[in-house]
Amino acid sequence: MTAAASPLRRVLDALPITVFVLLFIYLSVNSNSFLSLPTLELILKQAVPTVLVSLGLATVIIAGGDDVVSGGIDLSIPATAIICAAIVADQLTNREATLIWGLVLAFGAAGVIGVVNAGLVVWVRMTPLLATLATSVAVVGVTKVITESRRIGVTDPTIVFIRDGQIAGIAAGVVLTAIVALAFWHLVHRTRWGMNLQATGGSRDAAQISGIATNRFVVQSFLLAAFTGWIACTFVLARGSGSSPGSEENLLLEMVLATFLGAAFSPRRVVTVWGAVLGAVLVSALSVGFISIGVNVFWTGCIKGALILLVVASAAAGRAQ
Amino acid sequence: MNYTTKLLAALAMSVSVAGMAAADGHANLEGKTIGVAVVGTQHFWDREAFNGAVDTVKELGGTVVPVDGGRDNQVHADNHDILLNQGVDAVISILGDGAVEPKFEALKNAGIPVFTVDHQSPHAVNNTTSDNYYMGTTIGRYMADAIGGEGKVAVFNAFEGALRICGIRTGLWKYVLQDYPGIEIIQPELAEEFANAPEDARKKTLDLLSQYPEGTLDAIHVGCWDQPAIGIVQALEEAGRTDVLVTALDGGPDTLEIMAEDGSPFVANVAQQPNLIGSTAARNVAAHFAGETLLPQTFVDVFPVNGQAEAKAAYKELGYGSLD
Amino acid sequence: MAHALLQMHDITKSFPGVLALDKVALSVRAGEIHGLVGENGAGKSTIIKVLAGVYKADGGSVAMDGETLGDVNPRTIHAAGVRFIHQELHLVQHFTVTESVFMGQELSGPTGLRRREMTRRAEAFFREALGTELQGSTLIRDLGIAERKLVQIARALIDGAAKLVVFDEPTAPLSSGETKKLFAAIKRLKERGIAMIYVSHYLAEITDICDRVTVLRNGRNVAVFDDILPDSADAMITAMVGRELDALFPSSNHAAAAQMLQVTGLAHEAFSDVSFEVRAGEIVGIAGLIGSGREELVDTLYGLRKPSAGSVVFDGAPRTFKAPRDAVAAGMVLVPRDRRHDGLVLDMTVSDNVNLASLDDISTALIERRKAGAEKAAGVTAQLDIRPPNPAAVARNLSGGNQQKVVLGRWLTRGAKLFILDEPTVGVDVGAKVEIYTLVEQLAADGAAVIVSSSDPAELVGLCDRVLVMLRGEIVAEVQADMLGIDHLVALTTGGQAA
Repeated sequence: MTAAASPLRRVLDALPITVFVLLFIYLSVNSNSFLSLPTLELILKQAVPTVLVSLGLATVIIAGGDDVVSGGIDLSIPATAIICAAIVADQLTNREATLIWGLVLAFGAAGVIGVVNAGLVVWVRMTPLLATLATSVAVVGVTKVITESRRIGVTDPTIVFIRDGQIAGIAAGVVLTAIVALAFWHLVHRTRWGMNLQATGGSRDAAQISGIATNRFVVQSFLLAAFTGWIACTFVLARGSGSSPGSEENLLLEMVLATFLGAAFSPRRVVTVWGAVLGAVLVSALSVGFISIGVNVFWTGCIKGALILLVVASAAAGRAQ
Repeated sequence: MNYTTKLLAALAMSVSVAGMAAADGHANLEGKTIGVAVVGTQHFWDREAFNGAVDTVKELGGTVVPVDGGRDNQVHADNHDILLNQGVDAVISILGDGAVEPKFEALKNAGIPVFTVDHQSPHAVNNTTSDNYYMGTTIGRYMADAIGGEGKVAVFNAFEGALRICGIRTGLWKYVLQDYPGIEIIQPELAEEFANAPEDARKKTLDLLSQYPEGTLDAIHVGCWDQPAIGIVQALEEAGRTDVLVTALDGGPDTLEIMAEDGSPFVANVAQQPNLIGSTAARNVAAHFAGETLLPQTFVDVFPVNGQAEAKAAYKELGYGSLD
Repeated sequence: MAHALLQMHDITKSFPGVLALDKVALSVRAGEIHGLVGENGAGKSTIIKVLAGVYKADGGSVAMDGETLGDVNPRTIHAAGVRFIHQELHLVQHFTVTESVFMGQELSGPTGLRRREMTRRAEAFFREALGTELQGSTLIRDLGIAERKLVQIARALIDGAAKLVVFDEPTAPLSSGETKKLFAAIKRLKERGIAMIYVSHYLAEITDICDRVTVLRNGRNVAVFDDILPDSADAMITAMVGRELDALFPSSNHAAAAQMLQVTGLAHEAFSDVSFEVRAGEIVGIAGLIGSGREELVDTLYGLRKPSAGSVVFDGAPRTFKAPRDAVAAGMVLVPRDRRHDGLVLDMTVSDNVNLASLDDISTALIERRKAGAEKAAGVTAQLDIRPPNPAAVARNLSGGNQQKVVLGRWLTRGAKLFILDEPTVGVDVGAKVEIYTLVEQLAADGAAVIVSSSDPAELVGLCDRVLVMLRGEIVAEVQADMLGIDHLVALTTGGQAA
């Protein structure tokens, strides 16, 4: 019995990367401004909310395993980001509260979502896919109640700074997000806690045998995911200069694509923190690239959907090998 | 003068107004790249305004960089960053909510003039729009007349606070109703979704109807546009409550068709000319580059539509075909 | 004489209706490899689980280094220096060797994980304690099975606090070459003064590496062997089996008739070059331990797994079954080993289960004729004496023996030519066993060919005409059952004796 990778497996592994490389070559050839510094900054700026929620999703997948159906997944992170943004915007604009107070309330809401998700998955034993989908729908509903489905503009100076400000000559939002991403990378890949989290997702039995309290890690992963939703809300507000109803859908699509794409790019073919960050940046680059060369927005959605299928299917087929 | 001749006269006048800039001869867009950003292209109004702008830019010799927000205000706003990055000469931005304001400011700071459609902004050179003041007051009068000057009215009003044009239209509608003390606006007001308006409005109307049984609700008004009205009429027909009257604004072909049906509860509308609006915005860009000073706003005429007969006439005169 | 490192005294453990351990003693001296043998159900794994703190003993004591442990739970046992190498590897495929070795016991400093130090220690451990070179950065999925086993051992021992290591069937998935590698590592551990308990069915391995052996039978101590010689295996087998053939079995001897099945050179990942034939009216047994390839062979015959080589001739024609439905269509049926999962729809009635395989016969143009089905089920229920004699009973509520009869009954209604019974009497009480054996006899007498794959040597010897013995993926013996004693068969399957 050998453990060497079969040729089919290697083709499946290389497929998503190949498709992406081809797409980027196509974009570079067809848009003369695609490979330029301003475009790069634009790509990074637009990637910010996706990067943040993908950090959360990566954590949940790492703790729950990367099987798309039975493994870890949290579809409610974008909804969490949107409800937190709505709460903060509502407090700032409609109730004239301080940003801090708005963030405190939003933190509480994110905490409740994290606990509910963890509870449904760990104690009620629902599949994460269904549990977090249900939470997501409920959270979107509550968001509509808070905002009455209306846009709420925000002009708070801190939010404006995150939108327009610079730190060391780089967009403030990008710098702050990089700091959060680095913190996550250290936590998940460079600490005992992170190794135990990875072991929990890698093999629940193996982790338990090794004395790791696996349920605790799954619970903590959902709490962290909700936490990333909370962090993302500030950046969502900055990006839209307020809270707009309905913006969670696009974020959800990009988050799932980014996180699983990251796995296709990692040497071990597993979801990682830095893979999720890279994936989010690539997804943003694709969006910017397609718009730059005038591809119809519906085609862009279609291509993104197809890419999710490609990435997830090749991972699933690779596992079946 | 009957309705059709009124309409024809007005149409002829508005076309001649719009034609003036082009008639100057020197106003063209040769060698210019114009970004055209639209919030979405699913709806008739958005698509027509977008087509009007794109076609006219091409007609005037310019190159178009089109971007479409897919009916997502956030994506629409972000698309302006890409236009900025591409270094276009001017941007025509159609609709959009407050999220686009900082993008306009950035474009202005980069020396790229912004021309808006249906979106007033301090950072734009000019806003081309319908006569929203006339729209708001007229639909107020028509609705009040239709329900005999008294009764309970529900309003779909998601955008009064977010979009200035909606603030004008709904605000003036309410202003007119102040003179009808017998008309009561049901609180809280309803808020329709931006992306999926007809289906969303249908569900919310069914909820509303179960709350307000027969005889306790007289009309439903859509404050700023007409897409929700499609769902509202569906819901009324499903529930057998076509005694409740419907009014809305925009007057696209889909809602004019509904108005033209026999016994339709949809009784009043104000039709706009979106294609002409988009086209006018493009001509304004050309005028700007030709050194002309533009007024902050260019108004394009609208056509009040009161009842089935006028709906059929307007449908024909606006070039959507025949409903007879 | 070395002192006793581990002393388990008078360990008693009962489960509802079963006395699993009856005052069992197990004593392991410092620095020795102690074998623990016994048939399935003898109590080996129960006593290991008591030692691990997974089961709480009803009575008895456990002492390490002369000190009695008050509370035996996984934590105290770990603190006392006892480590377990489970049969399952429990490794994460995408982890590196270093990450796997330090799983749950990572070294970390003020700036996070000390990856370099962990790698250094892991590689040193492999080199010095296990006598093998393994790169810390290699992924588990790129290792062979034996190397993975070594990683599992390293994980248990890397903290240097292990005094006693329990190996549970460590060689089951290994080839003989890989087994040698593992034994070399085990011997090095012994040199370092670590005591081991070695649980295995492979008596050849036991006599090879163990210093002393404890034999269990039916939850009791039957013997402790202090001096292990190569020919101790015979005495162990006698102690393990300790009984003569029960009178459960009907007389069997069938006239050889036409050939029904011929298998030539069949191969798969788990077995190679398997050839045999089965004739109509004959009952052929397949013996073999878990990991011998027996289960995979049965699955392959039935189309559940794909063979890598070889040919099958069934009922006079060459066949390739891509799926079980092909096999069923040709007249070959399987009564699967895990009937609760594979054999029955537990929430359906007896009647529905019986008719499941033959819906074609009782349905017209896709419409199920329920009346015909009910009549058929009633017939089968009576014929097989299924209790309660009620076709409307829900399968879940039947006893194991009666459930098995329902599965058999389903295929009876098809009139199959070859029956493959995989572990037909696991979890079945004695009375039902007799009925199932009688039924199998009847099938053969009616002219069907029968293959019985079983881990119960008595069943094979008593029921079959001929027994094929598998060991590590090969057929090592083919014996006429009337020439075969239970102990002889055990010796063959455990590698305790060459064929």
